Amino acid sequence: MTDLALESVTKRYDGTTALESIDLEIRDGEFFTLVGPSGCGKTTTLRVIAGFEEPTEGTIRFDGRETTGVPPEERDVGVVFQSYALFPHMTVAENVGYGLRFRDPPEGTSEDERIAELLELVDLPGTEERAPTELSGGQQQRVALARALAPEPSLLLLDEPMSALDARLRESLRRQLKRIQSDLEITTVYVTHDQAEALAISDRVAVMSDGRIEQVGTPEEIYREPATRFVAEFVGDNNVFEGRVLERDGEGTSVDVDGDVFRLPPLETDADRLTFCVRPEALSRAVEANRLEVDVETSEFLGESVRVHGRRNGTPIVLRVSDPPTGETITVGFDPEAVHVVDG
Amino acid sequence: MSVSASDRLAGVRAWLAGRALVLTALATAAVLVVMLYVPVGVVFSEALFVGDRLSIGNFRAVLTDPFYLGVLAPVFADPLAIGTHLGALVGWLASISVSLSPAFPWLALEVPDVRLGLFGFTAYQATLSTIASVVLGLPAAYVLANYEFRGRRTLRSLTILPFVLPGIMVAVGFYATFGRTGTLNSLLGLAGLGPYPFLGRYPLAVVIVAHAFYNAPLVARITVAAWESVDVRTVETARSLGASPRRAFRDVVVPQLLPAVLTGALLTFVFTFMTFPIVLALGGLQLATVEVWVYDRIRRLAFAEAATLAVLETIVTLSVTYAYLRYESAQAGMSRAASPPPREQLFPDVRTALTPRRLAILGYGVVAAIVFVGPLASLIVGSVTDGSGFTLRYYAFLLERQVEGASFQTRPWPAIRNSLLFGVATLAVALPMGVVISVLTARAGRLGTVVDALAMLPLAVSGIVFGIGLLQGLVFGIALPGGWRLQVTGAVAIVAAHAVAAYPFVTRNVSPLLADLDPAMVESARALGATRARALLDVELPLVASGVVAGAAFAFAISIGEFSSTVILAAGSETYTMPVAVERYLGRRPGPAIAMGTLLLVVTAASFVVVDRVGGRFERD
Repeated sequence: MTDLALESVTKRYDGTTALESIDLEIRDGEFFTLVGPSGCGKTTTLRVIAGFEEPTEGTIRFDGRETTGVPPEERDVGVVFQSYALFPHMTVAENVGYGLRFRDPPEGTSEDERIAELLELVDLPGTEERAPTELSGGQQQRVALARALAPEPSLLLLDEPMSALDARLRESLRRQLKRIQSDLEITTVYVTHDQAEALAISDRVAVMSDGRIEQVGTPEEIYREPATRFVAEFVGDNNVFEGRVLERDGEGTSVDVDGDVFRLPPLETDADRLTFCVRPEALSRAVEANRLEVDVETSEFLGESVRVHGRRNGTPIVLRVSDPPTGETITVGFDPEAVHVVDG
Repeated sequence: MSVSASDRLAGVRAWLAGRALVLTALATAAVLVVMLYVPVGVVFSEALFVGDRLSIGNFRAVLTDPFYLGVLAPVFADPLAIGTHLGALVGWLASISVSLSPAFPWLALEVPDVRLGLFGFTAYQATLSTIASVVLGLPAAYVLANYEFRGRRTLRSLTILPFVLPGIMVAVGFYATFGRTGTLNSLLGLAGLGPYPFLGRYPLAVVIVAHAFYNAPLVARITVAAWESVDVRTVETARSLGASPRRAFRDVVVPQLLPAVLTGALLTFVFTFMTFPIVLALGGLQLATVEVWVYDRIRRLAFAEAATLAVLETIVTLSVTYAYLRYESAQAGMSRAASPPPREQLFPDVRTALTPRRLAILGYGVVAAIVFVGPLASLIVGSVTDGSGFTLRYYAFLLERQVEGASFQTRPWPAIRNSLLFGVATLAVALPMGVVISVLTARAGRLGTVVDALAMLPLAVSGIVFGIGLLQGLVFGIALPGGWRLQVTGAVAIVAAHAVAAYPFVTRNVSPLLADLDPAMVESARALGATRARALLDVELPLVASGVVAGAAFAFAISIGEFSSTVILAAGSETYTMPVAVERYLGRRPGPAIAMGTLLLVVTAASFVVVDRVGGRFERD
């Protein structure tokens, strides 16, 4: 339906910079997620796209058309907020039908049919005459989704839509949202602080921090090949090591990390110092290479595995093991191939 | 391709719809400039200019006149003669004597008389009124915040009512209570006492009680709100840390109430400093406050003197208001409670009703009933009785005057009709103004605060000041460049004056509700295709309807009761309202004035009932 481009978008509020020269290309029909800690600028980015805020500098294009100065009501976007923002003085049907006061329903469909169709889509058939306040949080959020989709917007914007819901509900709503989005093939921008949610639902993800884009990529790329230390630590559990390169040869690189020497595969970089990360699931008691001793601090039973937090020479380490550790220390190793080098 | 006329028209309409809010805001700003800032500016320039020249002559004349400033006048006359002034002060202090009173076994303090002057007296009566209001208001706040009883919520809502009752009507009510043939003397007569000339001998005391009638509920209201927002968990924490109930009250509750009590006291001081109809009706020139004297100067056409006094008065009230705002902003955000303290049953059973505390509450209730219900009941009773018993002759007089009165005489029906018409017209102007200002200031940050402060000016400028400004500016006309003249007269000027006085109440009722709305609601509507103005109509207004209705009730009541500027603008014309009619009768015929006051009470009460039925509540918290 629509592709979206942000070109060096900057947003400043008296003195503070919320967005610093953001460049993004969001493709037609894509489920694109902005993820980052609170205050990173992800919601501001969404609000600038929706037209609730104008960028201080830079431009935003919908299908190549510049949107500067176009008020939100003329942008043809559907927005869903964390707080649902249903109109409490209107019924469910009036809520879903509100956008149809300004845009006609699709050819050959009456307003009532369109409302029923949308409620069917979000799995809430027959709730037309209910008051939004009678519905549960998850149901209200689905009504909000139906309301946003009713006028057939060319772009769907979701601002932390599930943060107010409990974990189990969040997962089922997430699957439902993904199904609806791929059925409708609507370009979607999703904002969340939950990196697991971002990985689970998106076609592509942009990780943001401090008003900047850290990395854009598919969930696999973001997880397996984090571009920066921030992404490595923010997305999933990770162990980040910093060390000094001792020697390079045809078979690999030797790195000194606080006295332990680890063997890494051959690297393209010729820097003296290296930052690399190893996922907890790659640290195993069974691997004989690159052994390190971890002082166990706490262990959390997660069902299918146990997460162990500990320290090595004072730096925190996180492990995934199948059985809770028995001693005060645990020795694990990692395969050189499991290492991913990031920008310091 | 050519654009057809209808396309162009549709384009214009869409343009207008997209900017409806901005256009209303501009209209509001225009009304405020013409009807508020220009008149106030006219008063200031009248005071600041002598002939064509800027001069402090007017101020010097007032400030050095002992009639206005009392013992402070010499200080202003010769500010550098510090030695003389200190000498006078020491002389005064030396003449204070302390003696052991023979009648009572305590020390008596004898203070020599101090000449207060007009300003001093105004401040003096305002101080006494403030003390009386706080003393009468705090027990009410205590009972309303801590006890549960039938009618508590209603009573709490009613605390706002005195605030919008017409001042002149309340004054007549007090007259009907304390006058020579008033209900108090009738009651004393039953016991074979009196009659006593309460009003003749202690006019100041009656004025102060009348001020307490107005302001004690205000003090109670503000304090109850603070008391209810005390988080009970803070008290429980103090208790768990070892504080006794009394100690926890002193250390935790009192500091949270104090700002509210102080707020109530300051507002009371400002309001009673600017008092007008009550003093005019109950005390006349013998108890003249600044406001009454300004009115008298206007009637004698001494405009420069009136304007100078008005400016000085405004400076006093604005500085008090400013001090209050500074204080309030320093306090802001101190507490916002989730769980208010639980309320005890006031009278759980007969036995506990006899504890000292309950008896004290009961006693207070009797006093409160006399002060608050007494004057209104006396008004009604007084309208159908004279010294000797039941009579309808006051109403008969009104009827007769209506039928046979000459056109220059004040007749009841035009007064009623004018009051209602002005009330409705005021609503039509004040509601959009108030709502637009609420919308603009609800989330506008620092700029919003400035707009808010400018728009709230009417609360700090007295009706008299505003009245002279309108009279001298718009009614007499202002010459504009190019031979034009800006002139607003008659009913339009009165409605404008009422609307300007009323819209802050709309804003005050709507703003808090609007600020509580989820901003995502409006944004959702806009993303779905609604313009900003359309989102206001479809989403915000229905959700803040209770505030709008309450604001409308206030606006209407303010218009019905407005006296200060109306009495100036309606002078010698047919545009008099009910309060003005009451005042005109009061001079020569107290009986008909009381009857007219009763009619005013009926109309005011009816409008409140109508608004209540329409779905409003006078409550906003």
